[in-house]
Amino acid sequence: MPGPEQARQIFIIRGEKLSVSLITGLITFITGTTYTLIAMNLPAAPLGRANEPKIFPVSLGILMIILSFLLIAQEMKKRASKDNTEYEKAVFKIDNHIKSIILTVLNAAIYSFLFVRAGYVISTFIFVGLELLLFSGIKKWKSSALIAIIFSLAIYILFYKLLGVYLPMTPYIWI
Amino acid sequence: MESFELLLHGFTVALQPMNIMWVTVGGILGTIIGMLPGLGPATGVAVLLPLTFTMGPVAALITMGGVYYGAMYGGSRASILINTPGDGAAVAATFDGYPMTLKGKAESALAISAIASFIGGVFATIIMVFVSMPVARFAVKFGPAEYFMLFVFALAATASMTKGNRIKGFISMTLGLMIATIGIDAQSGVKRFTFNILELQSGIDFLVVIIAVYALGEVFKSFKNIAEGKKTIQTGFGKIWISMEEWKRCFWPILRSSPLGFFIGALPGAGGTMASLMAYNNEKQMSKTPEEFGEGAIEGVAAPEAANNAASVGAMIPMLTLGIPGSGTTAVMMGALLMLGLQPGPLLFQQQPTIIWGLIASMFIGNIILAVLNIPFAGIIVRVLAVPPRILYPIVLGLAFVGTFAISSSVMDFNLLIIFGIIGFVMSITNIPATPMILAVIVGSNMEQSFRRAYKISDADLSIFIASPICIVLIALTIISILFPIIKNIFEKIKK
Repeated sequence: MPGPEQARQIFIIRGEKLSVSLITGLITFITGTTYTLIAMNLPAAPLGRANEPKIFPVSLGILMIILSFLLIAQEMKKRASKDNTEYEKAVFKIDNHIKSIILTVLNAAIYSFLFVRAGYVISTFIFVGLELLLFSGIKKWKSSALIAIIFSLAIYILFYKLLGVYLPMTPYIWI
Repeated sequence: MESFELLLHGFTVALQPMNIMWVTVGGILGTIIGMLPGLGPATGVAVLLPLTFTMGPVAALITMGGVYYGAMYGGSRASILINTPGDGAAVAATFDGYPMTLKGKAESALAISAIASFIGGVFATIIMVFVSMPVARFAVKFGPAEYFMLFVFALAATASMTKGNRIKGFISMTLGLMIATIGIDAQSGVKRFTFNILELQSGIDFLVVIIAVYALGEVFKSFKNIAEGKKTIQTGFGKIWISMEEWKRCFWPILRSSPLGFFIGALPGAGGTMASLMAYNNEKQMSKTPEEFGEGAIEGVAAPEAANNAASVGAMIPMLTLGIPGSGTTAVMMGALLMLGLQPGPLLFQQQPTIIWGLIASMFIGNIILAVLNIPFAGIIVRVLAVPPRILYPIVLGLAFVGTFAISSSVMDFNLLIIFGIIGFVMSITNIPATPMILAVIVGSNMEQSFRRAYKISDADLSIFIASPICIVLIALTIISILFPIIKNIFEKIKK
């Protein structure tokens, strides 16, 4: 649940204050425009009305562009009426948590590479283990390793053995 | 009394020992997941969905139903004991539930929240028995144009009702519809937005989007909040029950809040969160001692809990009878149905009475089982809350990935999972609500298909969308739902 304090988060870029809503408005505009352009250039339908596959997407794209304008306009209006001191309170920091997210994404990419090649149990042990280290810190590596192995084995037994869901096996080993 | 006979038939299904076992298993898992901070019923159902892949449709739905209302029961445990609601619908339980715990009355708070949830859930299921058939029968009359307008109304209402900035709600909705257009167009065979990637041709599986946004997004968000420190949790309890005096205080609030919750839950867009907050405010206004609210008034726990569980049942009606989910969780439930090859909508009641009525009957049984689980065994179950988030979140991640693999048996979906996890996180820091997007991803392709069918029938004449009285009513409702917040603001200003 975003609270009121979150609503006033501000990015500080080169000393300039940019509100989240303004950035959102810009991203929305770019998304809307790109989507509309691709939608307009979709191939024609081989049968029936040629434009039919385009109508719905193009309308969505245009709606998105309109929404981006509305959002930017709303934000400009807010800025004109409110003094900026209120914005100073909450500053959005790109610090450790963004770093953790990037590491998690990299970890997931490794997981996706290893999943079929190394098999479910081993790749999951590595993935969950690394993730536990990321959350708990290197000092707790023993408990992290233990939890990771219990988790990957338990899920393997539950899904593969009991529920019959296919999971990739590790080459040359029984699991 | 056709509904009654069908319900009896449903009970013969739901009372089979295996199905009782599944609803219990689902209920326990749901309660546990619902209790965990940040993980609500939507995440619970999404993460546990793979468990049901090898079950038959009836068992699968009954299990998921158990998870769903189990999470509703569980959500309030964390609100009461550690002031950390599992999801939006459990927020209202913190207002008086946590003060009760601080005053040493955790036992009463836990007991009344389970009792109120039980009464709210059973009451709403009884109404559902009588309401769903007429609604389904009425919906059979809907043509493609009516359906399209119904989708427009449901999505607009959801986007408009979401907390915070309404424009962002609509952005979220549009984004979801855009995602739904990816893949080969079912009617013309044209490849749309696939960028020559083979895996995108069959479209993006909405379950992947759901798991990504609810599970991965939640983990990403947790990195930010994890340093905030852990609260100690009470694990020793006296007898978890309420006194006669407390029951008398709660009786009318529960009976008032149940129908309110059911009605709000059945409206598209307004889910358990709104129902529980409205019930809370309602009781506060009616109370002779409003100053006690917020300080540990027991009816302040009872009313929102009854409303929230009644709403969770009410929300099932538009999903089952019309194929239009009104909340994030029912959207995930609809995802479960679609995965089982069942298309929710009026025809489902005609074609699959066993499944539908088995599910409805299992809601009665599930509520009884959950009340038992959450009163005598509450002291044991809440120990889960002592699991630190640093262990919990990596496990949620592990479950999210294995769940995704179980859906498609393809590692390609891992990439989509990561991408949508990032999108979900970006949406949360930019305060764009996720629910409208999730609903739109699920109903998007049906919505476009009904538009296209209507367009074909009318020979490209758009006036078909305003031709029937049903369409006009739906358009009016759409406009009202979009303008409602503005009208409300004006009224409030006039009041002042």
